Amino acid sequence: MADDASSSSSYAGNLGDNSINQDELIMKQQREIEKEISESIPLVGDLEPLSSLEQEYTEDPVYLLKVKDLFSKYKYIRRTRPDGNCFFRAFSYAYLEYLLTDKTEYEKFYEIAKTSKDTLVALGFSQFTVEDFYETFMEVLQRVGEESGGTLEALEAARAELHDKFNKQGHSDYIVVYLRLITSGQLQTQQEFYQNFIEGSRTVTEFCRQEVEPMYKESDHIHIIALSNALNVGVRVKYMDRGEGSQVIAHDFPEGKTPLVHLLYRPGHYDILYT
Amino acid sequence: MAEIGDRYNTKCPGVKRLMREALELAEATEEYCARPLEDNLFEWHFTVQGPKGTDFEGGIYHGRILLPKEYPMHPPHIILLTPNGRFEVNKKICLSISGHHPETWQPSWSIRTALLALIAFMPTPAEGTIGSLDYSPAERKILARKSRSWVCSQCGEISSLLSSTAAKPPTEEEQSVLNQIAFKGEEEQANKSQPPVEPVQQIQRPVLESTEPDASLLDQLTEIIVVLLIGAIAIFFYRRYNAFYNINQTEI
Repeated sequence: MADDASSSSSYAGNLGDNSINQDELIMKQQREIEKEISESIPLVGDLEPLSSLEQEYTEDPVYLLKVKDLFSKYKYIRRTRPDGNCFFRAFSYAYLEYLLTDKTEYEKFYEIAKTSKDTLVALGFSQFTVEDFYETFMEVLQRVGEESGGTLEALEAARAELHDKFNKQGHSDYIVVYLRLITSGQLQTQQEFYQNFIEGSRTVTEFCRQEVEPMYKESDHIHIIALSNALNVGVRVKYMDRGEGSQVIAHDFPEGKTPLVHLLYRPGHYDILYT
Repeated sequence: MAEIGDRYNTKCPGVKRLMREALELAEATEEYCARPLEDNLFEWHFTVQGPKGTDFEGGIYHGRILLPKEYPMHPPHIILLTPNGRFEVNKKICLSISGHHPETWQPSWSIRTALLALIAFMPTPAEGTIGSLDYSPAERKILARKSRSWVCSQCGEISSLLSSTAAKPPTEEEQSVLNQIAFKGEEEQANKSQPPVEPVQQIQRPVLESTEPDASLLDQLTEIIVVLLIGAIAIFFYRRYNAFYNINQTEI
């Protein structure tokens, strides 16, 4: 997947022995790859029937079996741009879309979202930059609330509006940044617990600074656990890889919580699934 | 700010953000000040005070901040205009977390973070990185003194731009960021593909001779230290051996 490309350094071999600026050259190449990707795939795509996934793997019996397994539970897929932000983008899109149909859940979530900023400021994040992201996030959320539980027609329009916002780089990225901050906040407030998930000698804060807060950094289990816990939102991730068996294994975060967001994971990338 | 608001789409998050930052930085402080050019929200001029207790103490340094259209998703570029002996003038430098990929800029940082980081980074060793200069302390002190009379063709005398109000101290988060941040010149390739930066003022090359880091001298020093260390270890073992031998002798 393209996400893989952005974290791989296998290009170094092609660059000969020019050691002076190899890092810079790799980065330049990465930027070019990223640009290519961003020009060809929308931030969040249209709803597609799951069969479009089947077409990707016509020559691949392992994956075909697994797609068949997916068919038993899901009907549609919505692809997201593989730019390293796909988990955050897919999660927020799918959840906000769900909130359009469930006003009670919206009210509950609104309260959690409203106080989320204070946690971040208390952690020492600069107030005015946090506010900047918070306000855009709340604006989008409130629009969802206004339309939540409306007539079918109104919902259709609201969905289109949400889709439009998620495909405007400015707004879309602001939502991603805010979710990254919430994830970082959760990791830092529950340091003792999350420290166990971090490999190597990095502290939780260092990990946040390097792997959570910067844009385009891919998400791992730890990001999903932290975000789903911080927002108290159930997420089911279907893991589709070359592993044995014909079944696609599902993981629920936080464990035991009813999933409202369904994501498909293929190595390095997340898309949204619909029942 | 009103005219700028008219000229840009304030619905665009980047524009909204920069207008906020302009407000936040509207009042000059003792340590730094920055403001957008009158006709361009995406180019700012800044002034910083040389950090106290360093070769830059008493110096006042002026420069440009270029903001990419993706700001704050992508980092600002900083260009120093006042000769300082630590960074090349008229060359884009960017900030990154030291020891990591330069693209670890975080959208929750701001122009203030960048300026605080620049001040904190000035006294660190240049270590031959792109855009860095390694002038001697004496040369830097002379440049610091000279910098006070430096004039920007757009902002005027830079020494009058700072105020006597102390800046807000860095928050805990900012401080931890400042400890990790590094500045680096931009890669040559990227420079070529971008329109050349038109010099705001003809900068005179400092009369002083630059003392480029002398790699061979460093190597020699390391060699001498290694030889000395090996010698010390040898003497240590010799003495231990002697002592041991003597004890054995007395026992017999």
